[in-house]
Amino acid sequence: RYIRQLQRLQLLLSPTSADSRGARQFVEEAAVDFARQHPDVVLYVSLRSGRAPVLLAEYLNGTVREELIANKTNEEIVQLATKLAGQSGLDIIRIRKPFHTDNPSIQGQWHPLTNKPSALTVQGPRLQPK
Amino acid sequence: VAKTSLTSPPWPEVKLPDPVEEAKYHAEVVQKVNQLIAAGCYGRLFAVVHFASKQWKITSEDLIMMDNVLEAECGDRIRMEKVLLVGADDFTLIGRPLLGKELVRVEATVIEKTESWPKINMRFWKRHNYQKKKIIVTPQTVLRINTIEIFPCLS
Repeated sequence: RYIRQLQRLQLLLSPTSADSRGARQFVEEAAVDFARQHPDVVLYVSLRSGRAPVLLAEYLNGTVREELIANKTNEEIVQLATKLAGQSGLDIIRIRKPFHTDNPSIQGQWHPLTNKPSALTVQGPRLQPK
Repeated sequence: VAKTSLTSPPWPEVKLPDPVEEAKYHAEVVQKVNQLIAAGCYGRLFAVVHFASKQWKITSEDLIMMDNVLEAECGDRIRMEKVLLVGADDFTLIGRPLLGKELVRVEATVIEKTESWPKINMRFWKRHNYQKKKIIVTPQTVLRINTIEIFPCLS
């Protein structure tokens, strides 16, 4: 059971400015293919003139990521979109450990007294002479 | 010959048991473990797996992250071979160095393919007017281990 963490992709275009040429080409050619390959991602395209073209990605835990797509070619936008689709909404900061377990020890956690004979069997020094 | 401090080695002398008895004991232990596995009375299983040039100790439902790109897409189920060790509460199966594929089955799914945080690679020599700065972003994949299963076919 795999649930994609990307909720929506909002593409803000502007029909006239030159830096959203790649975005317009993406919308014309590759957007439908992208939507078919990722059926659980919703793709919105809205035309806003007077603003830089931006790809907004919203994830299931509420984080919103903006990526500028000004002056990018069609293929680059496709790669960006697939990268965003594979990410989850966690912050991209330094992670201390590359693994995470809920049950770290199964056979009991090691403490310095494992594998040592118990105090009952160890023979101490005999105080009374025999 | 007189016994000095160097006639016998300083570690305690260990007598190995009879090979016939040893074989019988081994067969008994193997049968018991087989019965346990067939009955299915083990709790969680853990395994030591060699993956992406690193050895991980994994249980079911835990996350692993690696600094490379796998060819599988997000949501694909992957079966991990190269299992070195499998253990439960009462017994462990140790491979030399690998365990057979008919014995163990480790399954995982690719959850996420992101990039790492931007690492800064900078060189600076003082008084030499030399500095270089490079930002490195490596792709990462996150796997979740679904199940670890063992089958009773020891020998």
